[in-house]
Amino acid sequence: MNDAQLVQQVLNGNNHAFRFLVGKYQRLVTHVVGRIIQQEDELEDICQEVFIKVFKTLKRFRGDSKLSTWIATIAYNTAITHYRKLKRRGELSYSEEPNIILAEKDPGLNQKSIEKEEAKKYLMQLIESLPVNYRTVITLFHLEEFSYKEIEEITGMPEGTIKSYLSRARKLLKGKIEKVARLEQTNIFVDYV
Amino acid sequence: MKKLPVWNKLIYLLTMYNEDRNFDTDKLLKEAFTSEPEFKLSENFTDALVKQVERRFAWKQYLREFAIYLAVILGIMLVAAVLAFVWYDVTVSGWMAFFTKNASLVVGINLLLVFVLFADRVLLRYFMYKASTE
Repeated sequence: MNDAQLVQQVLNGNNHAFRFLVGKYQRLVTHVVGRIIQQEDELEDICQEVFIKVFKTLKRFRGDSKLSTWIATIAYNTAITHYRKLKRRGELSYSEEPNIILAEKDPGLNQKSIEKEEAKKYLMQLIESLPVNYRTVITLFHLEEFSYKEIEEITGMPEGTIKSYLSRARKLLKGKIEKVARLEQTNIFVDYV
Repeated sequence: MKKLPVWNKLIYLLTMYNEDRNFDTDKLLKEAFTSEPEFKLSENFTDALVKQVERRFAWKQYLREFAIYLAVILGIMLVAAVLAFVWYDVTVSGWMAFFTKNASLVVGINLLLVFVLFADRVLLRYFMYKASTE
């Protein structure tokens, strides 16, 4: 079933079609909302709100863009509205600069158990600590594989800004890792002998 | 063996990869960017959502039917009023005088009828539907 047929089925009141649509785009919505909100307890409610908005406004979908782009736009707008609300209420700390703090987790790890996966996990923690716009474009571009044009459509950010956020995010993370690595490189081995 | 702090573990790992395995930071970044974040929705998320949407759909459907009923009743009343003007000796001023004289009664009866129709076509059906799906 293609997207146009799926939309038509949902509009006809076919619950199975709506269930299928939710299943198909649940991952996308969860990623977009999760990366913006970062609060487990809010995530489910906001995802539900997104799909209800999709259902209510589906008749306005004319197929000018892909259904995934259209749903991602709703997810982005809903999540960013909630994010601003939380920020106003002071439930989120907001900074344009990355606040890279790593908690001491899993102290039982030793040299042998350190694997590439672990480094990736730490890097993902670093990604979560990036400013919201950086996290959003990283998610849309790398994880969901949207094009610059589609991200522009979803977020309303100009293409140049998107490219700049992506490159700055990469540079920030890389710089942070390499800087700390350079500074601590010698000490670690002293510490570890 | 001494336990490593988190940063040291990461640095150790990167150093190890950089020196011993010719590891590429860009590659690691790319892998981290494309890795699934650990956001999880509950297992019954879809069921709960579909149920909610079904209820909304039912509510909208019942409201639409109520609007059709109301439109049909109003249409019949309008036709009856036109026929009364054509076949019987009725004047607009006569109607107006009757309405102003019995305003509260006319408004009350109409509101009651609309409410009964609304309760029958929308409220009762919706609550019955809701109860059956819970």
